[in-house]
Amino acid sequence: MIQKNFTEEELKVVEVLKQVPDPEVGVNIVDLGLVYTVIKDDEKKTLTVDVTLSTPGCPVGDTIIQHIQTILEVTYPEYNVTVNLVWEPQWTPDMITEQGQMELNQ
Amino acid sequence: MQAGLSTKNAPSIWVVAPHFLLGPVSFLLASLYLLANYGALLGYHINAPILTVLHLMILGWVTMIIFGALYQLIPVVMEVKLFSETLAYITLAGFVSGLFFLIAAFMGYEFQLTNNFVIGGTLIIVAVLVFTVNTLITALKSEKKNVSKLYIVSSTIYLLLTVMMGLFIVLNLKYAWLPKAHTEFLETHVVIGLVGWFLMLVIGVAATLMPMFLIVHKTRKDFLRWGFYLINAGVITIFAITFINQVPVIVSFIAYLLILSGLVLFLLFNYDVFSHRMRKKLDVGMRLSAIALVILSLSVISFILVYFGNSTLGFPAGRVEIMAGLLLVYGFFTGLILGQTYKTLPFIIWLFYYQKLVGRQKTPLPADLYSDRLATIHMYSFALSVLLFVAGLLFSLEVLLELGAVAMVFTSIVYGVNVYRMIFHKKQIIK
Repeated sequence: MIQKNFTEEELKVVEVLKQVPDPEVGVNIVDLGLVYTVIKDDEKKTLTVDVTLSTPGCPVGDTIIQHIQTILEVTYPEYNVTVNLVWEPQWTPDMITEQGQMELNQ
Repeated sequence: MQAGLSTKNAPSIWVVAPHFLLGPVSFLLASLYLLANYGALLGYHINAPILTVLHLMILGWVTMIIFGALYQLIPVVMEVKLFSETLAYITLAGFVSGLFFLIAAFMGYEFQLTNNFVIGGTLIIVAVLVFTVNTLITALKSEKKNVSKLYIVSSTIYLLLTVMMGLFIVLNLKYAWLPKAHTEFLETHVVIGLVGWFLMLVIGVAATLMPMFLIVHKTRKDFLRWGFYLINAGVITIFAITFINQVPVIVSFIAYLLILSGLVLFLLFNYDVFSHRMRKKLDVGMRLSAIALVILSLSVISFILVYFGNSTLGFPAGRVEIMAGLLLVYGFFTGLILGQTYKTLPFIIWLFYYQKLVGRQKTPLPADLYSDRLATIHMYSFALSVLLFVAGLLFSLEVLLELGAVAMVFTSIVYGVNVYRMIFHKKQIIK
């Protein structure tokens, strides 16, 4: 599932995730369309992120996952962070944002 | 950690890096040897300097880098860990020592069997056999079924067949087990080696990497599947008719036609990927790869010309063969390796130095580990050297061949410097 609407708090998380680049292309994972959902539960103090990769064989795949996990744990130390790697729906280049496309060809 | 990802399948840097340390040395030695013997390019294609440079390029440079890169790429393509790193070290040790004897044998080659041939050939066969076992077991462990895997597994088997055939040729010179012309076996050795091993492998790896690097999702995999059948049918036919007497010429003609059709399909696959790419701006690695693919097209044309014969085209014996071989081995394979080095090696080095730091500190990106300027410089010098060689061969001008060899030496040095800088990278933290 790809989340369409984010709360104000979740948008802040998305902004944090923009600091995580795909090391191969140098564009952040949000603008590459790799972040599918962000759920921030302030009562339970949980932060759950669903992300995908451009290809299952991505050679830096778990480095990206590790990067997301670490940066969220550092930014939200009181939250329990879970990063799920999902393959459905399959990522396609159409998911790259306009900003991402611009950066890709800079 | 999540299952099915490739980082944890990545091999140790110590398995990959030695190949990238030794490969550029062979490239430099081959270039220097050619510079000292550039006049041999205007002679018949089977002579000692050409065979020395060819084997140094094919084994010491191209195969060496392919071994190193494959240990890194197999986890990406097959989504499984390499079966044994110990076997990879054994392969490297056997291969390097075998190469030493083999090159010594070719430097003094006078169409006779020497001890250096037997020792070198045997060591290389053992090394390749170990490599084949390692790759095949890895492939068996992988549940992934794709066209890349098909190509890679087949190419590995052809590599084993190539080196066995190479040793057979020199042994047959002395013992004459099969009373056929030396050149017929040589032709098969070249076809299995260049087409069965190198091209099949390149196609297999490119099938995964080109769309991945250029960000393309829907690719013409059907071109590659058909290409697989056509190229295999051609190579197997060429191999089989070597051992049969009085086969009509039309059979080998059809076999070469099958191989060429497969190659054209591979070129069309790449054309389609390049036309539909999301990443319009090409980095230096992909620009070099694109140049290599253009040279491959020229090489295909040259191989077609080989069939018409030198005398028909007004060239002395062996000229078109040398041009076609040079375009394929130096132009295509070297160009592709020069480019793809920057798409593979920085990652394993980056993972080694920075994997544990991501998210905690700001780190450089893999592309920051090499000099883009140096890579661009050797891209131009490489293209220039290919042009000079081709012009020198077409117009029989030694001075152009000498300048081509100088540009080739320069290319190998600049590339080597960039690769060594990457391997001996000092960890940087960006503040």
